[in-house]
Parts: sequence; structure tokens; C-alpha cells
Amino acid sequence: MDAEYPLAAELNLLEPRRVRFERDPYDDLVLVTDGRRVAGVRLVRTFPQSAAGRMISVRDAQGAELGLIADLAQLDRRSRELAAAELERLYFVPRIERVLGIEERFHVPTWEVATDRGRRRFEIRSGHRDVQVLGSRILIRDADGNRYEIPDYRRLDRRSQLLIDSQI
Amino acid sequence: MPLPRQTTNAREKGSPTPTELPPEVRAEVAPLLAPDEQVRLAVATDMRPDGVYGAAYLVATDRQLLSISPDGGCPKLTCLDLPGITSIEVQELFGSNALKVRTDASGITVALFSKSLVDRFARVPDELAALVRQARPGAPADLIRRSGRWHPAPLRRCETCGQPIPHHLGVCPNCLDKGRLLRRFWGYSLPYWPLVVVSLLILLADTFIGLTPPLLMRTLIDNVFRPAETIAQAAPSPAAAATSIGELRVHLPLLGPTSPAGALLALVLVLLAVHVSRNGLGACRSYLLARLGQLITYDLRLQVYHHLHRLSLNFYNERDTGRIMNSVTQDVGRLQDFLSDGLQELVRDLLTIAIIVSILFYLHAGLAAFVLVPTPLIVAVTLRFGHRLHMIYHRLWRRWASLSSLLADVIPGVRVVKAFAQEEREVRRFDTRSLDLLQGELKAARVRSVFGPAMAFLTSLGTLIIWWVGGRKVLAADLSLGSFVAFTGYMWQFYGPVESLCRLNHRFQHAATSAERVFEVLDTTPDVVDRPHAPPVPRLTGRVEFRNVSFAYEPGKPVLHGVSFSVEPGEMIGLVGHSGAGKSTIINILCRFYDVAEGAVLIDGHDVRDVQLKSLRDQIGVVLQEPFLFNGSVAENIAYGNPAASLEEIVAAAKAANAHEFILNLPEGYDSELGERGVRLSGGERQRVSIARAILRNPRLLILDEATASMDTETEAKIQEALRRLVRGRTTFAIAHRLSTLKNADRLLVIDKGRLAEIGTHDELLAQDGIYARLCRLQTELSRIRAV
Repeated sequence: MDAEYPLAAELNLLEPRRVRFERDPYDDLVLVTDGRRVAGVRLVRTFPQSAAGRMISVRDAQGAELGLIADLAQLDRRSRELAAAELERLYFVPRIERVLGIEERFHVPTWEVATDRGRRRFEIRSGHRDVQVLGSRILIRDADGNRYEIPDYRRLDRRSQLLIDSQI
Repeated sequence: MPLPRQTTNAREKGSPTPTELPPEVRAEVAPLLAPDEQVRLAVATDMRPDGVYGAAYLVATDRQLLSISPDGGCPKLTCLDLPGITSIEVQELFGSNALKVRTDASGITVALFSKSLVDRFARVPDELAALVRQARPGAPADLIRRSGRWHPAPLRRCETCGQPIPHHLGVCPNCLDKGRLLRRFWGYSLPYWPLVVVSLLILLADTFIGLTPPLLMRTLIDNVFRPAETIAQAAPSPAAAATSIGELRVHLPLLGPTSPAGALLALVLVLLAVHVSRNGLGACRSYLLARLGQLITYDLRLQVYHHLHRLSLNFYNERDTGRIMNSVTQDVGRLQDFLSDGLQELVRDLLTIAIIVSILFYLHAGLAAFVLVPTPLIVAVTLRFGHRLHMIYHRLWRRWASLSSLLADVIPGVRVVKAFAQEEREVRRFDTRSLDLLQGELKAARVRSVFGPAMAFLTSLGTLIIWWVGGRKVLAADLSLGSFVAFTGYMWQFYGPVESLCRLNHRFQHAATSAERVFEVLDTTPDVVDRPHAPPVPRLTGRVEFRNVSFAYEPGKPVLHGVSFSVEPGEMIGLVGHSGAGKSTIINILCRFYDVAEGAVLIDGHDVRDVQLKSLRDQIGVVLQEPFLFNGSVAENIAYGNPAASLEEIVAAAKAANAHEFILNLPEGYDSELGERGVRLSGGERQRVSIARAILRNPRLLILDEATASMDTETEAKIQEALRRLVRGRTTFAIAHRLSTLKNADRLLVIDKGRLAEIGTHDELLAQDGIYARLCRLQTELSRIRAV
């Protein structure tokens, strides 16, 4: 009988101790593995919602996958910080810290919020498509396609909670 | 330093990129510029370079590029010499966009902006590239690079006011001109004006009569009972009282003095007449108004459907089928409901309120003013609760939808559920949603149970006021007992219409959006129309010529560039190319589903735009990859393009299409019903029915769009055989990915990225060793793999 097909071999995981990230003068991310340098690599979250820091796909400038990083936490500190910063830049999703008000016109709610990136006003086109409630975590897409996140809305202040409750 | 004109409207399309520089930024920029340096481009973004929301500016002069973030961003200022720029990179990121500029030595992100400013930045890279080329004439043409994986579907905002358009509406609620919609409706009811007039008169009479009973009660009490009672109390014994009441003469309006018993009888008769006529009129009114509504919507429904068939394919591509179907059924239905029901309620409620208010003021102005005091409160509470209830019901409706979508998902997939033994989990999933629904229902029930009693209490406030204020007036002989009772009676009839008016607003809003959607369909003009007096084309020989044809479905995204070729009558042409190369577009243009932007398509020397569309399409036969069969018998489907075909012709066509044998195997032969309730045919069988349909039409131009793509080898052989009969003597265009399908083609057109790349016979193209030869080699390898 044949041995079972080794599923894990498909993965092409990058060995965290042999992988390093750097930034070059062009402000591009560089992947260094075994002395090989690949400039302008792109990072893609494979689970952007459920596991933002795990299974990060590293791709070259043409989009071909160089490998996966199982967990950013396994990288050395400098590389981890660079990769995390790059992901923050690529996936710009401000966290809402306070809801200042929600006004509604023609069933289009306009939220006024304080985020970790400053204040913002945005409109929600459709409450049930664009406000995704995952337990107490809320993911929002506004009328223009911008993203926002509330990691745990039960931990916001009372007024914010009441305002959010009226929307979900 | 001359600055470009300030433009505030960022949504102008096609205009140069708007510039906006507040004075303090201008002051900051000024010292950085040479005296003769000119600002050519200035854009405000909503994000600073460090990824925090805030104002930042991108300014380009004829010499340098500046990125400024005045309110504390980091870096505060970046300056780059234009000639040194080697590339401009547009990065479309997940939640924002970035503009990065490279020089020989460095790369700098000069602007970050949220997705809200995509429009504003759309032309910035091009303008920047133009400035770089001006500053350095030798700069390469392809300065701009784009990257990013996220291309969100264009989200719609209203073009006039910028309001986001909700998914479920499809029209801008802000720009909805309800008055205009209403006037337009009048247009539809005009043909039925006698019906309108009669129903309105009946409505008036009905409402008036319905409001008389409290007045009758007042007459009964004040003019009959009170005098009788006064006399009875003065009489020494009950018998004497009866006698003296019998001799009493009371005054009734219109009737004059009568005996109390006679007056009572008269009033009873009047009340009887009121009830009989009121209900009779009511029946007439509701029928007439329903009739009016139904007639208008019948017209509208037909007009919408008729118009839908006039519209070009473009209209259908831009909208989803469900939305279009809703326009014909739901939206028109909602309008009908509003016309038949809502409008009549509106008129009746307004009339009732007006009449009651005037009667109350006529009876006793002072008391009337008091009695109306709680009305604003009731209006406010109704509106608030109404909104709340609406939200709750909407949420409830969504939970119902989610429950039924779970069912629709899982029940058809029950084989998979069983195979993976996940029954328990599916039950749990159902339970979660079902529990959600239960909680929603309970909440709705709670609000509802508060709402009813609360409204009842508020309504009874009016009665309380009448009892207290009115009662004191009765005691002070300022108000007759009859008026007091009439007041109470009117009070009960008053609040119903008030509440109903409050709720009508909601219905009106719904009807207005429905109307807007319906009119949106009606107002769309078809892109492809016959020129006035376009002549029909005669029987074609089938010569086709494309002259320098360019075409774009959406402006700015050309699909075909300058395609030219000509085809002899009876020739079979194979169209080859990658998906999205433009093969289907050539077919679409040939059928004149779309008009070309540039160039011309000529059939037998006639420009397709100059001849009658129907006469052209009558001579085109199409066999698609996914043949579409309508509900109906096999024979009806074969004769779809030719309903007058005889039985002999139908059978002959089926035989030619290799369909006769399997049709006879169906229990009802050619009369077997297809579709939802009828027999289900396999893909190959459906394809053969559709080939028979094309054969029967006897077209001069034949289009085979991937006709054999999804068949097994044996079925394909049967269909190929049928197709060989079909293409004989007709000009044929065949699209196929499997090149073996095209082995009978006389010539092949190879389309690549919207251009005609190669043209010639199979052997010629192989000899050229170009795209076609490469495709052939690939497919031979593939078939070898399959054969292994």
C-alpha cells in the first residue's frame, strides 16, 4: 500500500529562523533567506479576519508565492516589526474606540467615530451587508469601501454600545 | 505665485483634478518655490503620511513634487525634483490607497488616501506623469505602475448630491422629487378621469355620512330625551308622566314639532338610512378605487414589461435580474397598493379630521380647543413607535430570511451533510438562528404590547378632558348634554385617522421609491435603436465585413481596438483567443446587441446601423454554450424563432439536429413539457434542441458560441455531426476553446487583447508559429495527458 500523501509538503512554510525582513532605500520590503535577497516582496494575509498575524503569504513583485510564514511571532524582533508595520499599511483598518454619534437619513446611517487613527465620519450603505457582527467583534465597510473594526464592542463606553446596538 | 482656480466639487467627471489649498498651506509652499515656478497640481488627501486621518496635500509645480502635512504628520514635508522621478506607483490597498514615487536612489510614499477619495485621485498619476515628461523630455512613456489586489465593485453615490445610494433602494432617496412623481401618476390616471371623479364624490359622501351618528345622538338627547325627562320629573306619578310626554311636542330640525315617539322613530329611520347608505357607498367606493388602481397598474406593468424588451443588453448587464423582475412585480404591486388603498385612506383621513374639527368647533369652540391638546403628543408617540416598530420588523424580517436561506442552503445539500455526518452541527446551526428569531419575535411582541395600551391611554386623555372640562361646562349650563355626548363620540373617531396618517408617511416613502425605480426603467432609452425609416435588409448572402471596429462596454476600458476583416458568404470562421480577449464582443457587435464606438460593421454591404434591427436578427441564428429552453413543449421550443412552422418542418429540424430519437423516447414525444414541472433534458439534449431551433429558423448568419464546450466525447460527436449540417451554405462564426472543434473552419481569427492578431487557415497559422500555433501545441499536450 502506498504511503499517505504528505499534505504538509504542500505548504512551503518558510523556516522562521532562516528568514529575515529588511527595508531597502526604495522603502520596499526585502526578504532575506539563506543569503538570497528578494526585493519588493508583498505580504498577504490568508486569514485577514480570523487570524491576522498567522499564515502570512510572502510573494515576489510579480505575485508568485515565495512561501508562507506560519506565525509572525516566530520571527526575530526587527523582522516581526517590519512585517507587522507593512501589514498595518496594507490592511488599513482603523479600530473604532468610541462612537460619538449616529445620524440617520433615508435609512443611511452616518457614523461619527473616534478611531486609533483619528476622528472619522462615514456612511453605511446597508446595515446587514456592511456591518458584520462576529459575536462582539464588529467589522464595518463604509459607503466608499473603507474598513473599520471594533475588536470588542462590549468593552466600549455605555453610550457607544447603545448607539451600536441600535444598528445591529 | 499664480495658483490654479479653486474647485470645490470633487465629483466632477472628466474635469482636471481639482485643487484645494488653504491659505496657510499656500503660505508654507510659497517660500519653497522659485519666483517663476508655477503650481500645476494641488490635491488634498484625508490621511497623513504616517497613516493617521488628517489633512495632507500633494502639490506639483513645473519643477518639483511636494508632499505636505501641516497638522503634525510625519514627515511634515517631502520635496522631490520632478526630473529625477523614475516611476509613479499607484497602490490599491485593502483599506486605503497609496501613491509612491521612485527616483534612482529612493522610493517615497507621497500620498495616502482613503477609499473615499479614489475619484479625486483618479487622474493624479496621469497628470503627474505628464509633468514629469515636461520636466524631463526623455522620460519613458510608462511611468505609471499599478499594484494591488483589491478592486472593490464601484459603490454607487448619487451623481447630483453625493448621498450613498442604499443597496435595497437603487435610487437616491435625497433627490426623490415626490411632487414630480405624484404629478406623473396623475398622467396615468387621466384616461380614467370619470372613474376618478365618481370615486372621489362617493368618497366625500361616504365620509360625510359616516360622521353623522354623533350629531343624531345629540339631537336625540337635546331635542327629544331632555324635554321628555324634564316633563316626566315634574309629573306626580309615572302614569301622569307618560301622558304628559305623549302630549309633548318636540322640535326636530327639518321636521318641525312632532311627538317624542314620532321624533324617536324619525331619528331611528335616519340612523338606519345612514348605516345603509354608508355601507353601500363604502362598498362602491372600495370597488371603484380598487378598479382605478388596478387599471393604472395594469397599464404601468405592461408598459414596463414592453419597455424592458425594447432595452438593449447593456441595461441588463448593469443590473441584476432580481432587481429587474422586482420592478415589474413588486414595485408595480406596491404602487397599486398605494393607489388603491393608501391614497384613499389619505383623502378619507384628512377629510375626517377636517370635518370632525369643524363640527367640534361648531358645537363648542372653547371645549374643542381643549380636546385637541393631546393630539401633538399622539402624533409624536405614533411616529416614534412607528419608526421603532419598523426597525424591529425589519430586523425580524432579516432573521426570517437568514433562517430560510439556511434551509435553502442545507436541504438541497443534504447528501453532503449525510456523507460527512454533520447532521448534529446543522441542527445546532439552525437552532442558533431559530433562537435569534425567537428573541426578535419576543422583542417585537414586547414593543407591540406596550404600544397598543400606550396609544389607548393617550386616546383616552381626550375623553378625560371632555369629562372634566366639558362636564363642568354642562354643570355651568354652558354646554348641552347632547353636545357633551356628541363630543365623546367624535373623540373616538378622531384619533384613528390621526394615527393612520402618521403611518401613511412610511407607506408613501415606500411607494415613492418604488415609483422612482419603475420610472427609472421607463426613462432608460435603449442604446441600440432603429434609425427612423431604416429599411429592412433583403435576404442576405452572408458577406460580413468589420471595418476598423473599436468598442468599449464602459468608457475608458476598450475591449476591441481597430479590428478589420472580411468574410465571404458561406465561409466558416473560427474565433480563437484567451478568455476576455474579445471573441464574444465580436459576436455581440455582429448581432448588433451593441453599437460600435468607431468603425463599422457591414453585412452584404449594409451598415448594420442603417437597417431595421428585426430584419437583421431574423436572419441570424445563435447556438449558445448554455442553451436556454423556455417552459413549454419540445415542439414550442424548437419553433421558438418561427412559431408558424409546420409539424413536418419541426420534425425535419429535429432530425437534422440529431434530436429526433431522444425526443421520441420521451413519453409525450414532441409534446413533452420542458422546464420546472416538465422533463429534464441532459446538457447534450438541450443543446440539440437549441440546434434544431437554429436550423428551423434557416438563418443566413450562424453563431456558435462554445456550442460543444461542456459535452462528453460521444455527445460532442453527435452534436458536431448536427452542426455540420447546420453550417452548410451559411456564414458561420464559431467560438471554441477546444481547437479540435474548429477543424472544419475555413479560416481562423485569432483575437488577442482586443486586437486581431492572426488570420488564416489552420495550416497557415501553424506555419506562422504565432499565438495559434502555441495554443495548438498546448492543447495537444493536454489531450495527451487526458489520454494517459
